[in-house]
Amino acid sequence: MTAVGTRSALRSTRPRHFGRVLNWIGQHVVLSGLAVLFLAPVVFVFLTSMMTSNQTLTATIWPDPWTWDNYVRAFTQVPLVRWFANSATYAVLATAFMLASSIPAAYVLARIRFRGANILFTAIIIAMLLPPQVTAVPIYVMWSKLGMTGTLLPLILPNLLGDAFSIFLLRQFFLTIPSEYADAARIDGNGEWGVLARVIIPMAKPGIAATAIFMFFNSWNDYYGPLLYTSENEQWWPVAIGLASFRSSHGGDWGITMAITMLVMVPVVIIFFFAQRTFVEGIALTGVKG
Amino acid sequence: MLAPAVLGLALFFVYPLLASIYYSFTRYNLVSDPQWIGLRNYQYLFADDPNVWQAAGNTLWFVAVMVPVKLVFAFAIAGLLTRAKTATGLWRTLYYLPALVPPVASVVTFVFLFNPGTGPVNLILKAFGIDGPLWFNDPALAKPSLLLLGIWVTGDVMIIFLAGLLDVPRDLYEASGLDGANGVQKLWYITLPTIVPVLLFSLVTGIIAALQFFTEASVASSVASGKVSIGEGAGAGFGYPENSLLTYTQWLYIRGFSNYQLGYASALAVLLFVVAAVFLTLLLRRFSAFTPDEATR
Amino acid sequence: MKNASLRRHLLGAIVLAATSAVLLSGCTGTAEVPIASRAPSTLKGQVSFWHFFSGREAGVIQSTVDDFMKANPGVKVDVHPGQDDEKLQKAISAGNTVDLGMSYSTDIVGSFCTSGAFRDLTPFIKRDNVDLTNLTPIVKSYTEFKGVRCAMPVLTDDYALYYNTDLLTAAGIDSPPKTLTELEDDALKLTTYNPDGSIKTLGFNPLMGFYENAAAHYGPSAGAKWLNADGSSAIGSDSGWPELITWQTNFVKKIGYAKLQKFSAGLGQEFEADNAFQKGKIAMNLDGEYRTAFLADQAPGLKYATAPFPTADSHTDLYGAGYITGNIAGISKGSQNPELAWALLKYLTTDTGALVKMANGLKNVPSTADALKSPKLEISSQYKTFVDVASNPHSATTPPSPIGAGYQQTFEQFWDKYQKSGGDLAAGLKSVDKQINDSLALVNGP
Repeated sequence: MTAVGTRSALRSTRPRHFGRVLNWIGQHVVLSGLAVLFLAPVVFVFLTSMMTSNQTLTATIWPDPWTWDNYVRAFTQVPLVRWFANSATYAVLATAFMLASSIPAAYVLARIRFRGANILFTAIIIAMLLPPQVTAVPIYVMWSKLGMTGTLLPLILPNLLGDAFSIFLLRQFFLTIPSEYADAARIDGNGEWGVLARVIIPMAKPGIAATAIFMFFNSWNDYYGPLLYTSENEQWWPVAIGLASFRSSHGGDWGITMAITMLVMVPVVIIFFFAQRTFVEGIALTGVKG
Repeated sequence: MLAPAVLGLALFFVYPLLASIYYSFTRYNLVSDPQWIGLRNYQYLFADDPNVWQAAGNTLWFVAVMVPVKLVFAFAIAGLLTRAKTATGLWRTLYYLPALVPPVASVVTFVFLFNPGTGPVNLILKAFGIDGPLWFNDPALAKPSLLLLGIWVTGDVMIIFLAGLLDVPRDLYEASGLDGANGVQKLWYITLPTIVPVLLFSLVTGIIAALQFFTEASVASSVASGKVSIGEGAGAGFGYPENSLLTYTQWLYIRGFSNYQLGYASALAVLLFVVAAVFLTLLLRRFSAFTPDEATR
Repeated sequence: MKNASLRRHLLGAIVLAATSAVLLSGCTGTAEVPIASRAPSTLKGQVSFWHFFSGREAGVIQSTVDDFMKANPGVKVDVHPGQDDEKLQKAISAGNTVDLGMSYSTDIVGSFCTSGAFRDLTPFIKRDNVDLTNLTPIVKSYTEFKGVRCAMPVLTDDYALYYNTDLLTAAGIDSPPKTLTELEDDALKLTTYNPDGSIKTLGFNPLMGFYENAAAHYGPSAGAKWLNADGSSAIGSDSGWPELITWQTNFVKKIGYAKLQKFSAGLGQEFEADNAFQKGKIAMNLDGEYRTAFLADQAPGLKYATAPFPTADSHTDLYGAGYITGNIAGISKGSQNPELAWALLKYLTTDTGALVKMANGLKNVPSTADALKSPKLEISSQYKTFVDVASNPHSATTPPSPIGAGYQQTFEQFWDKYQKSGGDLAAGLKSVDKQINDSLALVNGP
């Protein structure tokens, strides 16, 4: 690959240096310009959330006067706290259940030979990649016969029986742990659960954290699932459904809608800053291991 | 250790897959028992359904336009970010942040920004003397408007590319620089070969995600229409304007869970399965991470 | 873990999954409780009532339900407001969470009567000698399907023209339009523009899909017919629809489709205080009688009047008629306490005091002859128009169908497109017929 071009094409360094400075400036102008565009939506959302409802219907960009009123109304006129509590219940329980069921499964798939392992693994991959709508009808019918539609349970409980994407991701992490450690633990008299608890889990903490964060955010952001299962029961609405149906069910103006939008963004960003590393590493790992 | 996962696969994957096929040959509304009607659902699907092909076409648009545009954009930003020497963390965070915004919130944000009457985008265009278009309210522009949103939230793909680009050994660039290779040549001969697997992976997973495109399109429709759904239900708001945002999975939702034609919805699901299976096979064949061989090293 | 034991586990799990799946599909909801030969003398227990109203209107319903509970101290009604048709269907299919369900329109009557999601009320009606002749004929027709009475009407919605008297007077118009041509002429006169050419205020918004601008609401102006006696589509063979469509699209062209779209996209929400008519941004509007209550609540200062909606030029004999629909309620298939549900349903649909109270609160029009005649019914001059529409013999509704509102949606989807892009109208209407008949065949068929 190094056989590109010819040596005779060596150039003098001076214009190259000058070119580099120009290049540097150019790149940073593009970077900053785009960054402004990327930030602008959030800025506009914030500005509108600070306007009075009369202003939001007029052609103004800058609030005058500034008011926190929309935020007060978001909490007093809208069951925002309950929406957040529901989202949190969904995300926390789904994540906890997923971990309890998927870690052992991923461990077996990564470390133990058995007949049918290949078929099982392929099934997990297909289950992970298949659009959920393909199986939506029978699963909906099932929960409906159990009388559990109208709650978040149909979205939480299945995680007790493993989540395909998480199993896959965890297995990839477990594979990176050299098998010598597990072997040593086995010689010390540990069973498979012992090996998992004493060796694999401590060593795979970053991977487990990344998987948990994925699950958490997927559940927190989920719209399709709650729309299917909870739309008839406002008591169980997560924040995604609440916000999406806000303009039609409460008919609020843009000001209060934007206030709620801001409030929905904030927790996610806070969590991101606390778990930034895990996050970015996790994302990179899902894709790069291609 | 494996029993729960196996039970999970059986209950939530194998059984429903088979049951979908069975239901697709029935008329079923959940109140009365399924009634076998043979190929009727499929006949209606392929010959009579007034919206299914438009819905499939819309989904195809997202597959064929949105996925590649997002990838190219993410790749370009990632490339730019590898060059930034100062405040690298800040730049990365800035470009990544929109990807964190919950999808529903990001859609509401964009419908507001591009709202034709009082939205900031048209106000700014007006300041330049341009009469802004209708964006999410125009059937011709609704999909491109969603594409802009797609670009905004492309940060996760960008991070994957960035990690891939930073994996490219530095000395390769230096050596080729000494050899006199220009930027395009470096991109073509060094960067791309190293990152092609990552690109392909993102492409295929992007396509599979686009096949099930639902949330952004349906929320954009219902928020942009500004219609109050007093008594009809969520499905009635899908597709606005003029079905331009009606995707295949939304159509499945409407037939299944607004009209309660679960048998017909299952026929739609089976067709979706067949299409998704093509891409799945491609993915399984191509990528080592998805083949089980490594498991039993 | 050894191979054999693992295989046994796998096998066990799959067998378990398979049996549970069989079990699940085997049990179909709850069995119906047979009805007693005589109505119970005292009522006791809890009953759940799902309806679609929200906000101020839900308050009116709640207060009527409170009256019922006061009269029946042993009964607790669990009210679930804000439930649209989709949610109602979901809850009924899921089992026994709903006893009594109320929908905003008659669209679900066809499918709910056919599928049995709402029970046949005939045994209750016969037993308790409920006099159905008290219902107006049109209301009676839209609460039953193919001889199965599975719903009862709770008030009616009637549609007519609202106009802003200040704006009309300022434009020198002293009486409301009576034909569609007059409506258009007046509307163009009332429309004002900004310096940049965009619309400032609109006389009448002709865009199909705007607020209450729906095919169903226009239909009675030309006596247009939806379905044939056998349930198939009559749209393509009816002469009223082309006349309405042609008038409407020409009207749109005169102002400009894009201009109207842009103006409409910037207007407030229909059921909020910033409703365009309430804000004076639109001078004349097609709307239901409930708007009088919203106006009193949200825009008490606005000076307005109402009149029957103008008729098509060739149907001036129909003047005074309008579109009628209404809220309907029924007892769910899975109801665990149908006696209580029936008692509440009977109260809400036949008790004159309850109907008048709700009518006064919601400003809907009563659905029984007795309630319409009640001296306690508050009739303002604006509301009177709707009471008259309700009893006009030419007023019409959208008939129940097993595909619910499907036939209306198909037609409106076509109209929506046609107002923008035009095309061959006759061929388009024929394809609407085909689409409707196809989807009927899918739901009905052998």
